[in-house]
Amino acid sequence: MAHLDLEEQEQLAQLKSWWETYGNLLIMGLLLVAVVFSGWQGWRYWQDKQASEASNLFETLGKSMQGGDPKAVRDASGELLEKYPGTLYASMGALSSARYFFDKGDLKSAKAQLEWVVDKTKSDEFRDIARLRLVNVLLDEKAYDEGLKLLEAGHGASFDAQYAALKGDLLVAKGQPAEAKAAYKAAIEKAGKKSAGLRESVQMRLDALGG
Amino acid sequence: MFDFVSKNKRLLQLVLGLMMVPFAFFGLDSYTRSMRGADDVANVDGQSVTVREFNEELRQQLDRIRGILGRGADVSTFDTPEARAGLLDSLIDRRVIATAAVKSRLTVSDEQLREMIANMPPFQVDGKFSKASYEALLQAQNLTPAGFESKLRYDLALSQLNRALAGSAIQARAVSGRLAVLGEQQREVQESVIPADAFMDKVTVSEAAMKTYYETNAGEFRTPELVKAEYLVLAADQLGALDPVTEDELKAAYAARASQYKQDEQRRVSHILIPVAADAKPADKEAARKKAEAILAELRKSPGKFAELAKQNSQDPGSAEKGGDLGVVTPGTMVKPFEEAAFKLKKGETSDLVETEFGYHIIRVTDVQAAKVKSLDEVRAELTKELAKQKGTKRFAESAEVFSNLVYEQSDSLKPAAERFKLQVQRTDWIPKAPSQAAGVLANPKLLGALFSPDSIQSKRNTDAIEVAPNVLVSARVVEHRPAAQLKFEEVKKDIDARLRRQEASKLAQQDGAAKLAELNAGKDPGVKWSAAHPVSRAKTEGLPPEALRKILSADAAKLPAYAGYGGEGGYVLYRVGKVIDPPAKSEKDAKAAVARIESEAGAEQFAAYVESLRARAKVEVNKANLEKKQ
Repeated sequence: MAHLDLEEQEQLAQLKSWWETYGNLLIMGLLLVAVVFSGWQGWRYWQDKQASEASNLFETLGKSMQGGDPKAVRDASGELLEKYPGTLYASMGALSSARYFFDKGDLKSAKAQLEWVVDKTKSDEFRDIARLRLVNVLLDEKAYDEGLKLLEAGHGASFDAQYAALKGDLLVAKGQPAEAKAAYKAAIEKAGKKSAGLRESVQMRLDALGG
Repeated sequence: MFDFVSKNKRLLQLVLGLMMVPFAFFGLDSYTRSMRGADDVANVDGQSVTVREFNEELRQQLDRIRGILGRGADVSTFDTPEARAGLLDSLIDRRVIATAAVKSRLTVSDEQLREMIANMPPFQVDGKFSKASYEALLQAQNLTPAGFESKLRYDLALSQLNRALAGSAIQARAVSGRLAVLGEQQREVQESVIPADAFMDKVTVSEAAMKTYYETNAGEFRTPELVKAEYLVLAADQLGALDPVTEDELKAAYAARASQYKQDEQRRVSHILIPVAADAKPADKEAARKKAEAILAELRKSPGKFAELAKQNSQDPGSAEKGGDLGVVTPGTMVKPFEEAAFKLKKGETSDLVETEFGYHIIRVTDVQAAKVKSLDEVRAELTKELAKQKGTKRFAESAEVFSNLVYEQSDSLKPAAERFKLQVQRTDWIPKAPSQAAGVLANPKLLGALFSPDSIQSKRNTDAIEVAPNVLVSARVVEHRPAAQLKFEEVKKDIDARLRRQEASKLAQQDGAAKLAELNAGKDPGVKWSAAHPVSRAKTEGLPPEALRKILSADAAKLPAYAGYGGEGGYVLYRVGKVIDPPAKSEKDAKAAVARIESEAGAEQFAAYVESLRARAKVEVNKANLEKKQ
């Protein structure tokens, strides 16, 4: 390479000295990017795998609910909540099995499932829904004050009407028709234009209290 | 420079290798996906609702409406801005749900997918999954297995979500039980009407009040703008009548469509089937043949017993009961050996054993109708009508432009066009601008708009020729014009007097009703005559206005009888609720069903609120121009 002219030799020398100073740093940097990237990919892969396994378990849970063996339901649901608590499937499974236990008259187990969702789910909407259902179970247990207290916890705006209606239901059961009327009126006011069914149902409850 | 490259080959390879990594994971599509815009109706968190997809959904929606109204119904009136907005709304909801499903990694495993597909009845042959019919069915719908499976995977994930949320609602039994009763509860009511008419004599209206009413409602007392018009109608069927269909034309048309009038030979066939399974053992097959032969032998002995023997022995479930009758068969509809045998026989003849893939058949032809051609006289009426229509349409197409030009160029008279096309100039009586019965063929908004335009009224020129119906052109011109006018107070005084008195009388009726209601509620009897009692409920409204029904249902039934009242324009109605009738106790099954219905309604509401909440957080953009653009 002797026939390189001076200018080129100079450039080369500059490049070499730059490389000597920053070369290692550059390689380190690139390696770091590669590690972070593959770490992220790995994390995604792991999450997908978790979701897929949780999905299978959710289906198993569904089948065991149809089968009607409470122990099988308890086992599948327990495994789902224990092994995959971070997935939405855990919340979905808990809501489903809560209904199963409610239908069987096992209010204690139903409550446990719903409480799990209220405490552990990552979805705000699932929490709001689970709480609505939990309070419904409390209503059947005649734990009116506990239910009313739970309803005080905040919820998403789109659940306003349903929370208000449930408050009315609790107050009717508790024997406070005047307050119940106010709650029902609030529910009707807050029911969106798509909630014609809810509005009609609450209107019916309100009418029964004498308007 | 090259020196550097050759010395550091390793390093450069590493750098290049690293640069490839993103492509390996992302592929090129993530670079193209962000290019969106002009073809979208809406965008939800980066996911498009394209114009094409939207129009397809709209078309399907209109098709469904057409399916309800019957074919040929004009469904374009259902394509309103509100309907489009509603449709888009539901498409956006779907996108929102889909995004949530992807974010939450909802998915189904390959095994679940496989199980699902294997259990779908359309893909099964003899109760087992058949790969061949799976692929054939998909191909028939232009789907690839991969595409179908990914769509199914997505649908399954969404149905999991729906099941878990909407399908698992819990409604306190105390509440659902109460709702089930309330929904069907009846109230026995009696009515007493206080009509406004009863108070008409008691009210007088002053001249001053009438004047005030006249002045404040001046707009109501105007006669509309009216015209008398003359007009010409150029219509295809009229033009057709001017030029009757000739015998020669009929003959030519008949010859041209000879094949249409030809009817193939038709045979009515009966059979007796002794089936042989495709994988039958030779012994079984032999047994079947023996049996078939025995039947055939009996038939040869007594040919009249075919129907009876078919009923006893044929194992073709469709035809056996009908004595083996298969109805009329045409060539190309039966399996080959069967067809050959059936078309060789004469009427009344019975075949030997015929073997097909189904087994052994004994075939009898019960009737033969030879191939024939419908004569010209048989189709004359129908054909003449069709040709006349064709000629009319053709003439119309030729004449339309000339007609339009004539009425435009010689715009001070319709006569030239009338003479040219041998039409009659017709006249209307006084007609208003709003389409009315009196306007007849002119009752078309576009035509009336042109006729009442200032230009047409002032200069009395012909309107443009306007197509008021398919193949019907009309041009009209104003003959006489009467502008909108204010009616004088004297002319409408009587009318105003009646109106105001009625208003006052109605007010008195309301007052009287409200006073009586108060008395009734206070336990007094103001001497009300009640009608016979009859039950009403939410389901059985007995024609009550919704507002009145609500008053009845929300009357406080803690103490009976309860009273309610409802005032309308015609007066006031008092209601007396004498009894609250709870629905009879339900059977356990019905009670369960009622509770299940209430729970599933609650579940649907919760799911809707879930979607609404997700949507509130999503970034939704709507392209209004694309939403309203018709195809």
